[in-house]
Amino acid sequence: MSCLKTKDLGLRRNERWLFKNLNLNIPAGSVVAILGPSGVGKSSLISCLSGSESPTEGEINFECKAGEIRNPENISPELGIIFQSLRLTEHVTVLENVLYGKIAQYGLKESFFGFPESDKNIAYETLKELGIAHLAYKWTSQTSGGEKQRTAIARTLFQDPKFILADEPVSNLDNYYSGRVMGLFRNLASQEKKIIFCALHDPQLISRFANYALSLNPERPENWNLREIKPKL
Amino acid sequence: MSANPKHIRESQGLPTRKWYERLNFLNVLIIIFLFLTLYSGKNLVQENRSADVMAGIDYFLKKFFPPDFSNFHLILESLAETFQIAIVSTFIAVILSLIISTAASRNISPAWLVQTTRMFLNVTRTLPSLIWAFLLVIFFGPTPIAGVLALTFYSLGYLGKFFSESFESMDIKVARGLKLIGAGPIQAFLYGLWPNVKAQVWSQSLWMLEYNIRSASIIGLVGAGGIGMELNKAMEMASGFQRVTAILICILFIVITLDLLGQAIRRWITQKISPKSISD
Repeated sequence: MSCLKTKDLGLRRNERWLFKNLNLNIPAGSVVAILGPSGVGKSSLISCLSGSESPTEGEINFECKAGEIRNPENISPELGIIFQSLRLTEHVTVLENVLYGKIAQYGLKESFFGFPESDKNIAYETLKELGIAHLAYKWTSQTSGGEKQRTAIARTLFQDPKFILADEPVSNLDNYYSGRVMGLFRNLASQEKKIIFCALHDPQLISRFANYALSLNPERPENWNLREIKPKL
Repeated sequence: MSANPKHIRESQGLPTRKWYERLNFLNVLIIIFLFLTLYSGKNLVQENRSADVMAGIDYFLKKFFPPDFSNFHLILESLAETFQIAIVSTFIAVILSLIISTAASRNISPAWLVQTTRMFLNVTRTLPSLIWAFLLVIFFGPTPIAGVLALTFYSLGYLGKFFSESFESMDIKVARGLKLIGAGPIQAFLYGLWPNVKAQVWSQSLWMLEYNIRSASIIGLVGAGGIGMELNKAMEMASGFQRVTAILICILFIVITLDLLGQAIRRWITQKISPKSISD
């Protein structure tokens, strides 16, 4: 059974600690919501967990199988990331961006002969699930902010990793799609035992879909708080 | 809950900036440029260097007209060679520049490699194509190979600079994001960077081809092949001025046609592989 552990994790930036002595042990099947005001360090924590930023101190361990410990440097492709800035390739189609989710499985052959048809069909089904199947062959640069966000989510769902880090994944979505995406995350956690870390602002979404709430404290970085929530779903 | 330190700072009002922080450097540069122009203009226009322009026009019209197209087949053959020199040199330069420009991009390569590559590109760009041709004719003799290499070196300096600037203007975070989910460095480049930059690379390469066709017409003056060699021969003949006019008309026709064609192709490619985003 997979789990995510941090040991004495701390990040200091511009002479200020964003979080300190962060010790977590998140079991498989959890949706963890990271809370706190803007600038508190939610995105920085996600950056540390994803390996795009090195923590000032402490360590991060991903356990994919019992006894198989990995860290952010060697966790890919078992780590899916939905970035706040989305990081989509603008001048390719929406479908291609989704296919990039399984990039670790592809070689140089695909860059000449295209991606496998079977994968294209799975990616298309993912787009259907998020209501953007009609955009499959549209240029990503020609889609709206909300559509781009759903494309980034579809990429991670298509990747099908054990761990998902999502930095405000529903910030550009309406209530219907916010609930739908968080519902999908909730199901992935409960049924497929994935671990999902989400930076979220909406208290309603947190109480409905998360089973842990991690609050960061801007005044006392070592006074973070992890509380268990019973999801309403 | 205690007050956020950010809010305390905000309540103190707008901080004043130092004079050098407020100075508009662009305006200062325009003033410097204006003074330099006035100074240079004064030096360039001198009484004893003025020429009799009307006499010049009269001489030109009598000697150079009507154009002599009697050797039209030779002109066409030389024009074909000019094209071949331009196409081969542009192709080699594009391939080499793509490799070199990744080494010259700050967001892709380490600082020492960027500095070294940029210095090399600056050196190749400093020498005009005619000087490159002149130097290479010494090594390879008066052959089109000298022309091809001359234009390759010259184009390398420009395309390397253009491509690296295009790479630098791209958001490298997209490629880094792909690496975080398991892409190798070549995949991150191919899927995260190249699709966003390829329209610019195509457009710049076509521009270079147009430029090289113009340059390939001139480098023959120093013996590096193409229509320029024909031009040189005509100028050396006592009665060749009317032939010179015919060659110049042909060059002008080809260059203008290619300019228009190049513009249309560039516009088509840009729209085809890089449509505007809806926010533009």
